[in-house]
Formats: sequence, C-alpha cells, structure tokens
Amino acid sequence: MSVDLTPSIARRGLADRILRRAPLEAIATTIIAAGVVMLMQPLSLTLYSWSFATTLFGTVMFTIVSKVRE
Amino acid sequence: MNELSASSRITYRAVMVRPGLARRIRGLSDRMLAWLFITPTIVLLLAINIFPLLWTIYLSFTNYRANRANVPTIWLGADWYQSILTDPDIWAAMQVTAHFVIWTVVIETVLGFGLAYLIDKKFRGHGMWTTIILLPMMLSPAVVGNFWTFLYQPQIGLFNYVVAFFTGRAASSFQMLGDVTLSPWAIVIVDAWMWTPYVMLICLAGLRSIPDYIYEAAEVDRASKWRQFWSITLPMALPFIMLAVLFRGIENFKMFDMVNLLTGGGPGSTTEVASITLKRAAFESWRTGYSSAFAIILFVTVFGLANIYVKALNKVKSR
Amino acid sequence: MTSVTTAHSVVEPSVTTRRFAGSLVVLYAIITMIPLVWIMLTAFKSPDDAISYPPKVMFKPSLEGFCNLFTTRSRQTPEFIRSLGPPQGLCDGIARDRNMVVAGPSNYVPRFVNSLIIAFGSTVLAVALGTLSAYGFSRFRVPLKDDLLFFILSTRMMPPIAVAIPIYLMYRTIGLSDTRLGMILLYTSVNVSLAVWLLKGFIDEIPREYEEAAMIDGYTRFQAFVKVVLPQATTGIAATAIFCLIFAWNEYAFAVLLTSGNAQTAPPFIPIIIGEGGQDWPAVAAGTTLFLVPIVVFTVLLRKHLLRGITFGAVRK
Repeated sequence: MSVDLTPSIARRGLADRILRRAPLEAIATTIIAAGVVMLMQPLSLTLYSWSFATTLFGTVMFTIVSKVRE
Repeated sequence: MNELSASSRITYRAVMVRPGLARRIRGLSDRMLAWLFITPTIVLLLAINIFPLLWTIYLSFTNYRANRANVPTIWLGADWYQSILTDPDIWAAMQVTAHFVIWTVVIETVLGFGLAYLIDKKFRGHGMWTTIILLPMMLSPAVVGNFWTFLYQPQIGLFNYVVAFFTGRAASSFQMLGDVTLSPWAIVIVDAWMWTPYVMLICLAGLRSIPDYIYEAAEVDRASKWRQFWSITLPMALPFIMLAVLFRGIENFKMFDMVNLLTGGGPGSTTEVASITLKRAAFESWRTGYSSAFAIILFVTVFGLANIYVKALNKVKSR
Repeated sequence: MTSVTTAHSVVEPSVTTRRFAGSLVVLYAIITMIPLVWIMLTAFKSPDDAISYPPKVMFKPSLEGFCNLFTTRSRQTPEFIRSLGPPQGLCDGIARDRNMVVAGPSNYVPRFVNSLIIAFGSTVLAVALGTLSAYGFSRFRVPLKDDLLFFILSTRMMPPIAVAIPIYLMYRTIGLSDTRLGMILLYTSVNVSLAVWLLKGFIDEIPREYEEAAMIDGYTRFQAFVKVVLPQATTGIAATAIFCLIFAWNEYAFAVLLTSGNAQTAPPFIPIIIGEGGQDWPAVAAGTTLFLVPIVVFTVLLRKHLLRGITFGAVRK
C-alpha cells in the first residue's frame, strides 16, 4: 500500500497539470476554428475533405472537456 | 438540496389541510416542481428538434428520397459524406459562403464599431438616432431581400440611380443581381445594411462597460487619445466584438431567406451559399439522403461554433 | 469620483467632438433609412410612377398599390365596363380606369391572418413554457443545468433548412403539413430557447428574498412563484413576448418550405404578388409596408431591451 501511494500522487499531480479545463477548451476551440477554416478555404480540396472530421472531433472534444473540473 | 427547502417544508405542513389540486401542487418538493417546470420545454424540443435531428442522421446513411417513399431504403454507410466532401461543386458553394460571411462580418464590424464609438460620445438626441439606426435588423430578412430586388432593378431601381448619379455611368449599364461579379457584393451590401446595427448595439454595450476611472487614470498618466484607444478602448471592448462577430458569422454561415429572395443563388451559382445548395438538393431534386448528410455537415459546423459562442457569452456575462 | 471631477471630467468629450460624432451618426441614420422610406413611398405611387426613370420623389399619391394588394382584378372591354353600373367603392373605380373590374379579394388578408395567428399562438406557448423553465433553471439546482441550457440554446442555432428536411417528413407522416398548428409548434420550439435564456436573466435579477419572505408568510413555493415572481417579471415577460412575436412574424425559411396555401404566412406571400407583366411593385410595397409597420412600433417599444434580446440575456447594459 504505502509503496503504491507515492506514484499515484505523482500521477494525480501530472493529470492535474495536463487535464485543466481552460487550456483544453482553448485547444478544442482552435480545432473547431481550424475545421471551419478548412471547410471554406479555396486552396486545397484535401483540406476541405478533412474539414468535417476536424470540426466533429473539435466539437466532441469541447463537449467532453467542458466536463473536466476547473 | 436548496437553501429554501427548510422554510418551504414548514410551509407545507402549515397548509396541508386544503384539498384538491392546490394541495397536490403544495405537496410537491422543490425537486419535483423543478422537473415539472422544465420537462414541458425539454419534451417539446426533443419532439421538434432532437427527434428530427436523429432522423436526419439516420437518413444521411441511406438512399431515401422523399418523393419516392415506396423505393426500399438501402443502407449506404458514409457514402454521401464522402461524395459531398470530395465534390468540387459543394466546395465552391462553401467558398461562396466564405466570401459572404467574411465580407459581411468585416464590413459590419468596422461600421458597427465605428458607429458605436461615435454614439458613445453621447451627443444630443443619441437615443432617438440609435433607435432609428436599429430598425433594419428588426425587419423580416425575406421582406428586406424582396424590396432590395426593387432597389436593385437596373432601369428603375433607386440603388442604380444613386450609383449612376455619383459615378456618371448609365443606370442601366450594370445589374447588381444579374452580373456574376456584382451579385456576390449585392448580397453583402444588403446584409451589411441590415445587420450593422446589431454589431453596433453589442459594441456600444462593450464601450459602456468600460469604467470612466480607467480613462481618468490614463489622462493622469498623460496617455494620448490614440494610445488610450488602442490600449484601453479596443482591448476592453474586444470580448463584445468577438461575441458579435461569432454570432454574425454563425447566422450568415446558414443564411438562407434574404439571399434566396435577392438572387435565389444566381446568376448561375455565383451566390449559391450553402443553405441554398442544401435547399436545392433537398426540396428541388428531392435527394433526401444526400441532403441529410449535407445538413449534418452544416449542423456540426454550426454546433461547434455555437460552443465557442456560448463560451464568449459567459465571458461577457462575467463582466 | 467627486462632484467636481464629474462636472469637468477628463473623459467627457468636448462639444466639437460631440457635434462631429452626432453629425456622422445622423448621416448614417439618414442613409440607412432611405431604402425603407423609399419602399413606403412606393406603396403610395401609381404603377407608372413606381417604375419611372429617374425615380420620382414628388408624385401624386395613389391608393392603387393597396387596391391591387387586396383585390384580384380581371381585364374587360371598355364596352363591358361602360355597361356596368357606377363603380362600387374606391378600388373598383381605380380598376375601371385601367379597363379592369375587381374580381374578388386577394389572398393577402388570409396570409396576414395566418401570420397573426401563428405568431401569437407560438408566442403565447413559448413564453408560457419559457417562464416555467426559466424559473426552474433560475431557482432550483437542476442536474446538468449548463448542458441543458446549452442544448436549449443550440436548438435555436440549427440551420433552418437542415431542420426543415426531417420536419417536412415528420409533418407529412402525422398530418401536420401546411397546418397552422404545425407551424405554431415549430415556431414555439425555436422561440422557447430564446424565451428560456432571456427570462432566466430577468428572473435571476428578482431577489430570492421576496419568495422566501412570502413562503415564511405561509405561501407554498408554487404560490410564491405565481403571486410574487410573476408580477415582478412582467416587464421581462413582455419584452420576451415581443421578441418571440417578431421572430415568428418575420420567419420565412420554414414558412416557404413547409406551407403551400392553407397555413402560408405573409413573408412567403409578399414576394409573389404579380401584376400584369411582372411584379406589381406598388402592391408589393404596400404589402411590405403593412407588414413592417407593427415591427417598427415594436422596435420603439422594445428599445431598452433590444440588447438583452440579441445576446440571449447575457448583456444587460
């Protein structure tokens, strides 16, 4: 038990640092924005083809991330 | 559960004697009452919005056609999505939409913020003039689109006359709605006319939310007016500007009514914004499965932007 | 801030600045009003004046546009018209000058009535549902509150055409196509989201202490809601109702796709008013003017609450 304790605290510390809401939300927002830009840009058909997947991913991520504690 | 429940529990006991419906309502806990109040709205939205949405998702994977309901429905998987997302014509429609969205948002933001900045100077009668300026955005986009087609008539229209008057060209020498280079701008002009007041109103709220003492402190520090504008006015009004930009962006991304009446997507497909393409596929060619897939693509985009919009709303709310 | 600094505050713009700002804003307001004023003038022009070049600012007022809006006419030979008795009413007289007789009323009035019924019906429903939900969200701890509120708002943001496809199929199946009830339900569902968000803002502003006091006096929670909160929220409810009314009144996309005759509202009808040889512009302008006047009145009534309305209650000035 006492052996396990230290790494679990360390893990929680790491998770706390990465899994914070504000930066994750900012990332999701950027992905959504990128998807929208890809949908409407006139430069590359390939980017256009991947726009929907990008926006969908960003939106799903945003929804999940908004559940993460502040 | 709630800071009020203690007092309400006392109340229940005091009035339990009366019979009938009143008593039944009285007997409800706060939790029950909350659900009783919220459920009707949720049920309505589930029936009229969510159920149809799920149906659209299902249809988008099939070959269903609304005008041939007897043909057996075949599951197609993601075929429609693939064909839409590799179709250069749809891609072109998205660029028409982009032209419309970008230019309307840019023009409306610049004009709207400028107007708000001027109105914030609180000249005499600013309230009345603000109300007058706000009128166009309250009108029906369809009716607006329709009467602008009258103003845009090449031979008799007021718009052409005014342009001819100032440029010296003949009024019948150009057609705002019939020309491939001019018609994308014709719809931008009408949208800017209609929605600049919207951006103005939100920017005005932003400018008014800046407390005077910040400017007073800046005056004490001898910051120039120019400097004050860039380091106080603009940054502090920015969340409001973002809110207006996002909302206009979303609204114009799905713009249908005004454009449909002004040009109907023409000439050719030069003003065929996404919603018009969708309407043609869904209600003229009756490719229901295909148009459902397209609808879902547009919907996800709007939904994603709506997430950002609500975030922006909350940011402004906390001010 | 002391009274001295208020009187000569450094942030108060100078008289010159104000005049300059004022004149620019007034200039914009005048330019922006020209299209509206023009359409209202056109409503009172004769067809020849309406399509004259250069556009006429001075003209002899005529009610022909309104007559053409409200009636259908048929062309007759001058001999036939002479054989008739004296013209019945103003419009018949105007029509006879153009070798026509009034054949009957047009569809404008039924469409206008549809607009009224659908707008008022959906507004009443949306505000009723919205008030209850807004109170629920404002006062009780609802699980997943933020998600529900976002879900409610997101339904309003859906592209209308995307919603219209399944609604069209659904209404066809359950027999609500082209019925007023169907349109009322649809507009209610769009408006209820605005109503919930706006009213939640208004109800949030009513101090909870009022209800608490009432409940200590022996009111139940429900009675407190009816007798304390509702009267306090009257202004908010009225403003919300006007917003819902304006939306339902102005709506076009659903109306044009889902109705064809029976339940058609005015916005899809006005653009298809056709005279002989193309659009009858004075009649279109007359229809537009009558349709827009209520909105102008409402806008003036609502001016203090416009900001809340367009930001879903988030910005309160």
